[in-house]
Amino acid sequence: MLIFKLAIRNILRQRRRSVLTALSMAGGYMLFVFSISLLEGSWSNVVDIFTLDQTGHVQIHKDDYAKRPKIYKTIADNVAVETLLNGHSEVSGWAPRAYSPALAYGGDKTSVAQIMGIDVTLEPTVTRIKQKVSEGTYFDDQPDADGYFKAMIGRGLANKLNLAVNDEIVLISAGADGSIANDVFVISAIVGNAASFDRFGVFLPLAVAQEFLAIGGDVHEYALLSRDKHDNERLAKDLQAVLPTLKVSPWQEIEATFYRTMQSDKQGNYFTMGLIVFIVFIGVLNTVLMSVLERTKEFGVLKSIGCRPSELVKLIFIETVMLATASILVGLVLIVPVIMWFTEVGLKLDLAVDMGGVVFDTMKGDFSAYVILMPMGFMLATAAVISLPPGLRAARILPREAMGSH
Amino acid sequence: MLSVRLAWRNLFRNTRRTLLTCTLITSSLMVIILVDGMVLGMVEVMVGGITHTLEGEAQVNRKGFRENLEPELRLMKPGPISEALKNDERVSGFAPRVMVGGMIASTYNTSGGLIYGVDHRAEQQVSKLKQALIQGSYLTGAKREILIGKLLAELLEVDLGDRIIISAARVGTSDITQELFRVQGIFEFGPEEMDENFAFVNLEVAQAMLGREGQLHQIAIRFNDPEDAKDSKLPTLVNLREAEVEALGWLDLQPSVGGMIEMSNYASTIAGAVLFVLTSLGVINSMFMSIYERIYEFGVAKAIGTTPGQIISLVLFEAFFLALIACLLGIVLAYGASSYFEAHGVPMGRMEVAGVLLDGNLYTKVEAYQFVVFPVYVTLLTLAAAIYPAIFASRIVPSQALQRAL
Amino acid sequence: MMAIKMLGLKRSFFAGLLAAGKVGDRQFGSRKSGQGWIWLTGLVCLALGPALLADGLNKGPREIIDEMEQLYRGTSSASKITMVVETPRYQRTMKMSGQSLGREYGFFRILSPKKDRGIATLKRDEEMWNYFPKINKVIKVPPSMMMGSWMGSDFTNDDLVKETQLIDAYDIAMTETDAEYQFSLTPREQTVTVWGRIDYRVTKDPLLPLEQIFFDDQGEKVRVMSFSEPKDFGGRLMPSVLEIKPLNKQGHRTMVIYDDIEFDPPDITSETFSIRKLKARF
Repeated sequence: MLIFKLAIRNILRQRRRSVLTALSMAGGYMLFVFSISLLEGSWSNVVDIFTLDQTGHVQIHKDDYAKRPKIYKTIADNVAVETLLNGHSEVSGWAPRAYSPALAYGGDKTSVAQIMGIDVTLEPTVTRIKQKVSEGTYFDDQPDADGYFKAMIGRGLANKLNLAVNDEIVLISAGADGSIANDVFVISAIVGNAASFDRFGVFLPLAVAQEFLAIGGDVHEYALLSRDKHDNERLAKDLQAVLPTLKVSPWQEIEATFYRTMQSDKQGNYFTMGLIVFIVFIGVLNTVLMSVLERTKEFGVLKSIGCRPSELVKLIFIETVMLATASILVGLVLIVPVIMWFTEVGLKLDLAVDMGGVVFDTMKGDFSAYVILMPMGFMLATAAVISLPPGLRAARILPREAMGSH
Repeated sequence: MLSVRLAWRNLFRNTRRTLLTCTLITSSLMVIILVDGMVLGMVEVMVGGITHTLEGEAQVNRKGFRENLEPELRLMKPGPISEALKNDERVSGFAPRVMVGGMIASTYNTSGGLIYGVDHRAEQQVSKLKQALIQGSYLTGAKREILIGKLLAELLEVDLGDRIIISAARVGTSDITQELFRVQGIFEFGPEEMDENFAFVNLEVAQAMLGREGQLHQIAIRFNDPEDAKDSKLPTLVNLREAEVEALGWLDLQPSVGGMIEMSNYASTIAGAVLFVLTSLGVINSMFMSIYERIYEFGVAKAIGTTPGQIISLVLFEAFFLALIACLLGIVLAYGASSYFEAHGVPMGRMEVAGVLLDGNLYTKVEAYQFVVFPVYVTLLTLAAAIYPAIFASRIVPSQALQRAL
Repeated sequence: MMAIKMLGLKRSFFAGLLAAGKVGDRQFGSRKSGQGWIWLTGLVCLALGPALLADGLNKGPREIIDEMEQLYRGTSSASKITMVVETPRYQRTMKMSGQSLGREYGFFRILSPKKDRGIATLKRDEEMWNYFPKINKVIKVPPSMMMGSWMGSDFTNDDLVKETQLIDAYDIAMTETDAEYQFSLTPREQTVTVWGRIDYRVTKDPLLPLEQIFFDDQGEKVRVMSFSEPKDFGGRLMPSVLEIKPLNKQGHRTMVIYDDIEFDPPDITSETFSIRKLKARF
């Protein structure tokens, strides 16, 4: 314990220097944490935007439906899958879907469209579909007074076919049994905007879509949310193990290109941060080395009274790490409120970015163990390593030379 | 003058510390230059990708065309527009185009796609179509040439020379027109959407198919100075605008990209500022140590009548020379590193941004200002950091200093 | 660097626009229904043509086919057809009634299965309409949808239209064996077709088509249309079963069976082919 007392005393001996060094380490830590928080937060935000817009965190399909969608690639054993999803503790919401391309007619105009059969109660537990309704009201799965079922259409389709709420829309498609699917629906709502992924989409109640496409009780996709959005890949793996006949994919696979882009951007940022921390530690090295050299005489005395070289190395090591820890803790105390503010409130951007109907106008940070602890670990490790060269220098001092200096 | 000579000599009295502090400053400078180079390189790739791959730095379209690519929305009088562009010195090239959606059929399969009719010579000055070819050869203007994407070629199961039939609707009537082509070349731009859905044929053929000889859907423009494209008030573009015609630079065509670049600069500036702060802490620390070491000397100097001002200027000169050496070193090293990366690229992994594939390496940009402006900043910074220590030195009380016989 | 994240999400600038073409693939296509009759009449041509051979053996193949096409103009027909479509996923049987007048007019109605009963198609020159009784709507078929498969079958537009332009578009070479005439049709330079070569085999006695084989440019067989079960339809002997089989897709096959054909029925005129008729009771 003597060694700790010594370390503390040594740090306090050169107050100004210690403070300056501590400041630079604290500053470095705060910058690092802030930068990571913002980086992770913005990407997290972007990921949220599309996972909660359409993809979900994990998707289940039959075979390679995700890459090459064909109407006949359906999931048939729904009961089994749904029971599993309902009972799974890591799944916080799930929704079944059926899809098909179709031809849509409004008046005498025609357009291609994408039919999306969704469960009216389950879909909002996975996506923000309800918030995306820009005109009209979110639909239900009951026919109206005239016997027509309801549909919600995308903005692109509404514009192209000049359709409004309460208009009729005719859909023609091919059924899975080869029949010609044809029907009329009443538009209950228009969703999204001209740039969202669903701009040429027609949302139908799932049962209606299943009937229309002649796929019986089958669906094309299950989309689900994992309780911990950072852990979705593990959830996907777990589910895949229990569902060997189907393909379970995390969003990172579904949106592989985006994922790669994100990883590269993060990589680039880490690189920059690494450089900054490197600078900080050159400063720390400078300081520690100077301090050691300054205390050459002292070390000489210590060694001559029997202090082992390894003890000296330890001393320097502890001094540096203690100082680093103290600085980081100070930095932590200062930066946590900032990060929390950023995560909860965020910075309002003057240029709101519209991503597919979801307006992204606040830059938010991420507040997680990773954001706080990774920089801490990295810097402590660096501090520890940085302390070795000066420590070794101290250890090699020969008492006679040391005491003779100055 | 004495101060200057003294300052210079003082620096080398403790070469090790001078070297260490130098390392700190040099590293900062290098980091700033490199990161700046990387950011510039990234922006250039992105912007270049967006504007030079296919879209052009600016476009002239019929108003509303870009929304759904309705073939009816043509530029009715392309003649005057072309004339104007030909005579405009700002314009280095422009490519007239016709674009129509249609069916692309091979002997084995059919698919939908977007067919571009292009002028093969003009296109080379604006887009990277020719460079994107991975098999076969470029258009020469002969009637039956077609270039298709790699993924489309796979889907249609075709190879060079195979038959392709394009079916599209004549503008304004419900006639379908069909034309026979032979695969002249296969391209790979990177983004799936392009390689799976685009086909390029010669302009006159496409115009004839649509029954609209002489008319165009779009003119893509490249400028001699890429900065011109960002200027929405550029006379070149303003003069082309009419009631039904829009002429926009890429920033207006894709505003979100501009927003992103802004943010990128913003972030870099912040990081740079913090870096400076951290560096100055290190410099301050270092200067203090050097002063402490010589506190006896300063005491003597003051005792024999050196004015505080002279002491301050001494310390500042020391700092100045330190900065000078560090910057010179930094410039040389940064230039070396940046040039290396300019040639070989920083490995970054695959990213797709705004429909552009950034593959593998990021090439830094070496710009003159980096080696002039940044060193100046760093020098000023060093001087600023030295002020506190300098003032401290000037206030040393000789009687106390002389007691510290180190 | 941080800024790039924003674009990561950007859905492709082009994605939505391409929906335009994507829908017309083989999974989805019913617009071609009206063109069935063209095929039918093409069959008639082929059936009648060789009959002429007996009359003018010194006529070359070009003249024969040309005469068939000339002969054909003005002929009307009414037919009852069963079509069986097989895919690896399903097998579907449809019964249809059809009427035609020349090359320009065609009317077609599905009689079974019940789900599709009453769906009708009208073709006039290059325009086509569909009627769906379930929703009581007449819909004009957009030009972009004229491509793609007919009723989900393995027939394409090519089959149904190109036959009538054989004479100008192809070079015809003929050989014969004891039992068969064999025509080999090679497209001319400007001919708009996906086929590199089409071979026809016609039996001499009775004078009936046997097989059509479609090749790619390399001489590989890509598709086979075969004719069988000759029957007497009001005095004319014609194959009653037609089968088409794509060779590059496993498990796909379409069969068309003529239950009945009546030539030049008295009640067919150009007025018969009207939009009103689509919705009429039957």
